Amino acid sequence: MFRLISKRLFSALAVMFVVSLITFMVLKWIPGDPAQLILGTEATPESLEALRTSMGLNLPWTAQYARWLGNLLQGDWGTSYLFGENVRTLILQRLPVTFSLTLFSMILAVCFSAGLGIVSALFQGSWIDRLSRSLMQLGAAIPAFWLGMIFMILFAAQLHWFPVTGYTPPAEGISAYLHSLALPSIILAIGESGVLIRLFRSSMLSALNQDFMQSAQIKGLPRTTAILKYALRSAMIAPITVIGSQTAKLFGGTVIIETIFALPGIGRLLLTSVEQRDIQLLQGIVLFITLMVVLFNFITDMLVIAANPLIRMESGGNEV
Amino acid sequence: MKKHSSLLPGLLLVALILAMCLISFFWLPMDPNKMDTANRFALPTFSHWLGTDQFGRDVLSRVMIASRSALLVGLGSVSVGTAAGLLLGSLAAMAGPRLQALIMRIIDGFMAFPGILLAMMLVAVLGKGLINSVIAIGIFMIPSFSRLVYSMILENKTRLYVKAARSYGCRSGQIVISHIFPDMLPRLITQFSSAVGGAILTESSLSFLGLGIQPPSASWGLMLSEARQFVLSYPFLAVAPGAVLLVAALGFNLVGDGLNDRLVKRGSR
Amino acid sequence: MKKLICFGLSLLILVMSACSAQPTPSSDPAGPSAAPVKNELIMAMSVDPDGLDPQRTTAASTFQITNNLYEPLLKVTTDGTLKAGLAESWTVSEDGMTLTFTLRGNAQFSNGNPCDSAAVIASFERLKAEGSPRAADYANLMTMEAPDAKTVVFTTETLDVAILSTFAYPWAAIVDVTVADTLKNQPVGTGAYTLKEWVPQQSLTLVKNENYPETVNLETIQFKMMPDAASQISAFQNGELDIISVSGDQVAAFENNPAYTVVQAPANSLQLMAMNLSHEALSDLRVRQAINYAVDKDALIDTVWWGYGEKIGSHYPTVLKEYVDHSEDYSYDPEMAKSLLKEAGYENGLTLNLVLPKNYTAYVNAGQVIADQLEAVGIHCEISIVEWASWLSDVYNGRQYDLTVVGHTGRLDPYVLLARYQSASSENYFNYNNPEVDQLLSDYKAEGREAQRTEIVKRVEEILAEEVPALYIQDPISIYVLQKGIEGFATYPIDIYEMKDVRFTQ
Repeated sequence: MFRLISKRLFSALAVMFVVSLITFMVLKWIPGDPAQLILGTEATPESLEALRTSMGLNLPWTAQYARWLGNLLQGDWGTSYLFGENVRTLILQRLPVTFSLTLFSMILAVCFSAGLGIVSALFQGSWIDRLSRSLMQLGAAIPAFWLGMIFMILFAAQLHWFPVTGYTPPAEGISAYLHSLALPSIILAIGESGVLIRLFRSSMLSALNQDFMQSAQIKGLPRTTAILKYALRSAMIAPITVIGSQTAKLFGGTVIIETIFALPGIGRLLLTSVEQRDIQLLQGIVLFITLMVVLFNFITDMLVIAANPLIRMESGGNEV
Repeated sequence: MKKHSSLLPGLLLVALILAMCLISFFWLPMDPNKMDTANRFALPTFSHWLGTDQFGRDVLSRVMIASRSALLVGLGSVSVGTAAGLLLGSLAAMAGPRLQALIMRIIDGFMAFPGILLAMMLVAVLGKGLINSVIAIGIFMIPSFSRLVYSMILENKTRLYVKAARSYGCRSGQIVISHIFPDMLPRLITQFSSAVGGAILTESSLSFLGLGIQPPSASWGLMLSEARQFVLSYPFLAVAPGAVLLVAALGFNLVGDGLNDRLVKRGSR
Repeated sequence: MKKLICFGLSLLILVMSACSAQPTPSSDPAGPSAAPVKNELIMAMSVDPDGLDPQRTTAASTFQITNNLYEPLLKVTTDGTLKAGLAESWTVSEDGMTLTFTLRGNAQFSNGNPCDSAAVIASFERLKAEGSPRAADYANLMTMEAPDAKTVVFTTETLDVAILSTFAYPWAAIVDVTVADTLKNQPVGTGAYTLKEWVPQQSLTLVKNENYPETVNLETIQFKMMPDAASQISAFQNGELDIISVSGDQVAAFENNPAYTVVQAPANSLQLMAMNLSHEALSDLRVRQAINYAVDKDALIDTVWWGYGEKIGSHYPTVLKEYVDHSEDYSYDPEMAKSLLKEAGYENGLTLNLVLPKNYTAYVNAGQVIADQLEAVGIHCEISIVEWASWLSDVYNGRQYDLTVVGHTGRLDPYVLLARYQSASSENYFNYNNPEVDQLLSDYKAEGREAQRTEIVKRVEEILAEEVPALYIQDPISIYVLQKGIEGFATYPIDIYEMKDVRFTQ
C-alpha cells in the first residue's frame, strides 16, 4: 500500500517536472522580447540590453530554468512584469473565481446528469431516454462561446436576470456572488454534462443488470426498494473517478468562459500572459494548473485504491 | 437495443457540411471577401440569404468558405494526431521498460495540460494561421491517440494469437502491423471521428480568442468573435456561424458514436 | 434546436428595438429629494493599466489613472495651455535655457514624505535614468539644482523652445523615489487621489487624498475593467456604471435620451497607415500617391469609426492651431491610382504586406477595409495580425513591414509630434528622408518667434501631405456617455482623465 502511494506520488512529481520543462522550453521559443515590451516604443538599445541582463534573459536557457526552479522550490514564483506583482499573489487572488466556477458548474453538472442519466437508464428507450441522449450530444457539440453569447443577450442584457459580466466577491453579498457566477457556471455545466449523462446512464444500466438485482427480485423485494437500496448506490461509485478527472480538466479549461463573461479568473490571466509575453506569469500559471490537475488525479487515484481492495492487492505485481 | 442509432443522423449532418464545402469550390453566392460598406449589417434578403456583416460581406458565402478551413483543420489535425499517436504508442508498447517509462511520462506530461491550454501555448510559439492551427491541434491530439494505441497493443500483446505469432518468430513491428493493427482499426476509426468534432471546436475556440485563423480569411470562430463586437446591436450576425459549427461538431460526434456502437461494441461481444 | 435559437434571436431583435429607449433605473431608491449627492463614481475601462508607475510605461491606460495619483510640475487646460501643477509658478530665463519652478508650499506625498525640491530632482533623475522609456526626451535637461526647499532650477544643454510643455506630460509626474521599486502597484504621489485597491482585471479604486489643497469633489472613484464593449453598455444601461467610452455605432442609442449626456471631442491624435519607404515600390512617390488616391477615406471612416473622426491629409491633428486642411489633396480617384501605378511600372499588380496590431480592433478593421479598396486598383495586401509585442519589436523598431495601420497619441507641442520625420530619428519607422524637413525641424527648435514657428510647422505639414509617407486617415473623435447629473468630466489634448473636477449634481 505504502509502496503504491509513493510510486504514484513519484510519478506525479515526474509529470510535474516534465510539464515544467516542456513549458519552459516552449516559452523560450515564443517570439517577442519581454524587455522591449516593458520599455515600449521609445527604448534605446542600451537600456534594452541592461534590462535583459537584469532579467536574466541573456543566460542560456538551462541556467534560466535552473534559476527559476531554484526560486520556485524556495516559494518564489517570480514577478509578473505586467502587473509588477508577485506571481503567487496574482494566482491566489484569482483562485476563488476559477475555483468557484469549477465547483458550481461541477455540482450543477453532476446533479443534472445523475438525475437524467439514472432516470433514462430506468426508462430505457422512453422519451426521456431519447431526450437525455439528445442533450448529451448537444452538450458535447455546442460551442461554449456561442452559448455564452446567446445566454448573455437573452438572460442578462434583455431579461436582466443576471449581471452581464463581471464577478462579485462573496464578501460583497452572497446573493450577488452567486448571481455573478450563475450564467457561466450553467454554460460550463452544459458542456460537462455530455460526458456525465452517458456515464451515469451506463453505470446505472450495468448496476441494474448485476447479480444482486436478480437476487433481490428472487427474494421478493419490490423493484423500487431494490433500486433505491442497491442499484443507486452501486451506480454512484463508478463515475467518481471520471468526475475527479473532469473537474481537473475543467479547472484549466475555463479561459473562454472567463473571457466572455470578463471574470477575473486564472484562465483570463493566462490569456493575458500569453498575449503580453509575461513569461514568468505564464510559467507560474501553467505550473499551477497542472499541479492542480495532477493533485486531483492523485487524490482520485487514492480514493479508487482505498475503495477497491483488488487494486491494493495487485499493486505488488505488474503495473503498466 | 440500438434502435436509435446515431450513425444515420450523424452521417447526414456531416454530409451537409461536406456538401457545403464541395459546393463552395464551384459556386458561392458572392465573393466572400468583397466588401460593400454601404450595405452592411443587412438583414437576410433575397440577395443576401443570411444578411451581411460589419463590412457588408455576404454572410452565407463566408459561412460556406469557412467550412473548408474547418474541415481542413479538423481532418488534418486529427490525421497528424493519429499518425504520431500510432508511432509513439506502438513504440512505447514495444520498447524496453526504460524507454517505455520515458515516453509514457512525457505523454502524461502533455496530458496534464488541461483543455485548450496546450493548444494556446503551441500557437504562441508556432504563430497563428491555418497551417499552424493544424499542427498545434494535431500535437494537442497526439497524447490521447498514443494512449489509446499503447493500451490496445498491451491488451493484445497477451492475447493468444499474438503469442502464437511471436512463437513463429515474427518481429515486434511485424506483429503490430499485420496482427494487432487490423484489430485496432475499428476503435481507431471511432476515435478519429469523435476527435474531428473536438478538433473543429478547438479550432473555432482558438479563432474566437484571436489565436487561430486570421482575418480577412473566414472561420466560424472568427466570425463569431467579430459578431461579438456588435452582439447587442446586431445579434443575428451570431446565428449562422454558431449554428453551422454546432452542426459540424454534432455530426462528427454522432458518427463517432454510431461507429462505436456498430464496430467496437459489436466486435467485442 | 437550430430553429429554436433562430426564433429566439429574432424575437430578441424585436425586443431590443422596442426597449432601446428605456430609462435608467435610479440607483438610489430613497428618491431624489431625500438622497444625498452621490459621492462615488464608477467608470468602465477596457484594459488594466500597465502598472501605476508613470515613469516606466508608455501605456495610455496607465496615464489615464496615474494622472489622478501623481502630479507633474505643470498641468494643461482642456484647450492645451499650461497651468500650475505641483509648481505654483514658473519662469523662463531670457535665453530660454534656464527654467525655475516654485513648488506649492507643504506639498506632501501620500505616504507622508515631504515633496520638496530634492524629491522633485530625484524624480527627474529617475525619469532620465536607464529603464525609463522617455529618457531621451529629457536628456536635454543638463543640470538640476535646488537653491531652497521650494525652488527647482533646470538648465538645458541646447535651446529647445518646446521644453516647457514636456513638464506637463503625465510621465513627467513627480514620484516618491524612496519607494521606487513598488510604485508599480503601490503608487505614491501628490495627486488628488490615492490608491485604495487594485485587483487586476477586476477593478481599481481610488480614494480622495485629504491633504490635497484644491477641491476634490468625489470621495471614491472606481474603475471597472470590462474588456467587452457590449457588456459595458449593458451595465451602463442598468445603472451599474456612471461613465463609459463608446464607439460611434452606439451613439444613436444614447444621443436623444434625456437620461444620458454624450460628450464628444477630437482626441488630438492621429490614425494613419504608415508605409515603409525602404520598400522598392513604396520609395516611388507615384505608388504612395496611388495608394492615397485609391482609398476612399470617407467610406473608411464611416465603416470603421461610424463617421466619428475628422479626415486629415497630413501628420497633424485638427485641434492644434497650426492645422492646415490637406484632407482633399489626394481625393478618392481609383482611375488616377491605376494610371499612376501603370506609370510606375506596376500595371500588372503589386503585393505588399500589411501588418495590423491585434489589440486595436479599429486598426484591424481599418486595415481590412483599406486592403479591400487597394485590391480594386491592383495592389494586393497580405494581411498579418500580430500581438502588440511583436508589432513593437518587428514593425516599430525593426521596421520589417510594408504597410501598417496605427495611431499616434496627442502631444502638446508640434515639434514632438513631427520629430519622427527627421531622417535620423529612432522613431522614424517610415524610413522617411527629406533634408528639407530635417532642416525645418532643427530650425524650429531654435526659433524663438511664434509666427515663424507656425510657418515652419505649416510647411512641414505641406511637405508631408504632398510626399505622403503614410496614408493619413483621421483625427478620431472620442465619445463618452455619462449618466445625467454628472458634471465636470472633460477631455484633454493629452490622454488623461482629471477626476477631481467630476461631480454629481443630483
